[in-house]
Amino acid sequence: MGVYAGPVQDLIDELGRLPGVGPKSAQRIAFHLLKVAKEDALRLSHSIAEARDRVAWCQRCFNVSEGDLCGICTDDRRDATVVCVVEEPRDLVAVEKTQEFRGRYHVLQGAISPIEGIGPDQLRVKELLGRLDGEGVTEVILCTNPNIEGEATAMYIGRLVKPLGVRVTRIASGLPVGGDLEYADELTLGRALEGRRDVD
Amino acid sequence: MRIDRLWLTDFRGYRSAEAGFGPGLTAIVGANGEGKTNLLEAVGYLATLGSFRGAPTEALVRAGADRAVVRGEGVRDGRTLLLEAEIAPGGRSRAQVNRQPLRRARDLLGAVRVTVFSPDDLALVKAGPGERRRYLDDVLVAVHPRNDELRAEVERVLRQRNALLKQAGGRVTAEIEMTLDVWDAKLTTAGEALADARRALVERLAPSLANAYAEVARRGVAVEATYAPPWRAEGLAAALVAARRDELRRGVSLVGPHRDELDLRVEGLPARTHVSQGEQRSLALALRLAAHRVVADVTGSPPVLLLDDVFSELDPDRSDALLAHLPSGQTLLSTAGSLPAGAHPEQVLRVKAGTVIADAG
Ligand SMILES: Nc1ncnc2c1ncn2[C@@H]1O[C@H](COP(=O)(O)OP(=O)(O)O)[C@@H](O)[C@H]1O
Ligand SMILES: [Mg+2]
Ligand SMILES: [Zn+2]
Repeated sequence: MGVYAGPVQDLIDELGRLPGVGPKSAQRIAFHLLKVAKEDALRLSHSIAEARDRVAWCQRCFNVSEGDLCGICTDDRRDATVVCVVEEPRDLVAVEKTQEFRGRYHVLQGAISPIEGIGPDQLRVKELLGRLDGEGVTEVILCTNPNIEGEATAMYIGRLVKPLGVRVTRIASGLPVGGDLEYADELTLGRALEGRRDVD
Repeated sequence: MRIDRLWLTDFRGYRSAEAGFGPGLTAIVGANGEGKTNLLEAVGYLATLGSFRGAPTEALVRAGADRAVVRGEGVRDGRTLLLEAEIAPGGRSRAQVNRQPLRRARDLLGAVRVTVFSPDDLALVKAGPGERRRYLDDVLVAVHPRNDELRAEVERVLRQRNALLKQAGGRVTAEIEMTLDVWDAKLTTAGEALADARRALVERLAPSLANAYAEVARRGVAVEATYAPPWRAEGLAAALVAARRDELRRGVSLVGPHRDELDLRVEGLPARTHVSQGEQRSLALALRLAAHRVVADVTGSPPVLLLDDVFSELDPDRSDALLAHLPSGQTLLSTAGSLPAGAHPEQVLRVKAGTVIADAG
């Protein structure tokens, strides 16, 4: 139950819904936004509106994109036969930074986690299967997080894709166990990509 | 390993307190509710990043404060160690060793080890199998911190698997089956590794347990400890296949290391149900002593002994026997009454209303 006047409480509630923002931070951010110059606060709301209007999901790989296809999918120097599967767009950015990978991506938009109500149907798994034939994919690299949910997701997809005669590899660990891909340094992540292995 | 000094900030009832411990026996005295157990609990926190009373982390932070800090200075292998743990419920707990922040608080595990004796130890023998599994897993972590990751992995996989079984609500679609297959594979790998570790540990503990029991009870009787998961023969993977229909119907994981039992027997009789309370008490003490010796053996240095008010629950014979067989090394003992006759502390701390004062002397 909110303790502040209507619009203030609405703002706190909205901020509190963002990932990683607890009630205390939500309150702090809300009052910060009320204190700064009005145009500074409105710039944030404008950026949100702009991003929501102009950015959508790439219809092929589900990366963020300004058009129907993202920059990577429209770049014809990229190798269409190798697809790197990641959980989130931020993981794609992390892999790109290594400059080790010249293929295309597929963003699952999450990982299997029954606790959070996420099963294969909530992820872009069917869309991945649909790409394999049409794009002549010969290898799928599973680049999900090296935590329990990421490993389970990799195993699930591996079991679906392998019978289709496509090579399935998993990035080597060497990444911190229990960690998030987006925080790994470029060198570690690059090595992990080099040392990818077949999924059993 | 020993702890020479402890500083507390907003830990339990302590706003700000400091205590020094002797290298041998330190007695912590004070009336009930003054903070004796809290002090031992703080030492235990540095060792396990948890409460030996099983309290949630919120309970460790002083009411009204938003974080607690426990700092300890000690010596290990001839080197000074400064350990610091910050407890922030809801936030991220942090730890430092010699002022170097650790990447994860869990990396503090293994820096200090403790063996705790408490009046609740009788539950090790009398309560359900969960208490005995926790005992084994705690010893595993004390033996090697890597076992903490294994335990956490098994717990996480089980939580995911249980959530899935519950969501399935008895339905069996191809997708649910395939997702369950994946969690089965994960549970099999982690669960068998944990069960293997437990089994190896029990093999090591068993002889030590029989000896300790004879010392405490002053009588040589046959004491057995066995860990034999019912799924062991066929393997966890096959057991999960066999249990699947049942698990889907009941919506919960029915087979695995979370259901196993450490079977304890005295003269062939199940200790939980068939032996006297006196024998159960002796067995509980023996379990702690045996764990202490095994951990000291494997790691090459005896853990710090924390004896929380144990003598209030023991008859004079068992108190004497325990004191006579206490392993050498650092011991912190709390009592609300007088000290047992055989105890000769080199340091006495008086605890009152959130302060700790050392007896001059
Ligand atoms: N989170 C907390 N905040 C404030 N006080 C606490 C907290 N947890 C425990 N206490 C205080 O600690 C007291 C119990 O201390 P404890 O160490 O168990 O006593 P004893 O000396 O009998 O072992 C309680 O009476 C309570 O007042
Ligand atoms: Mg107490
Ligand atoms: Zn794309």
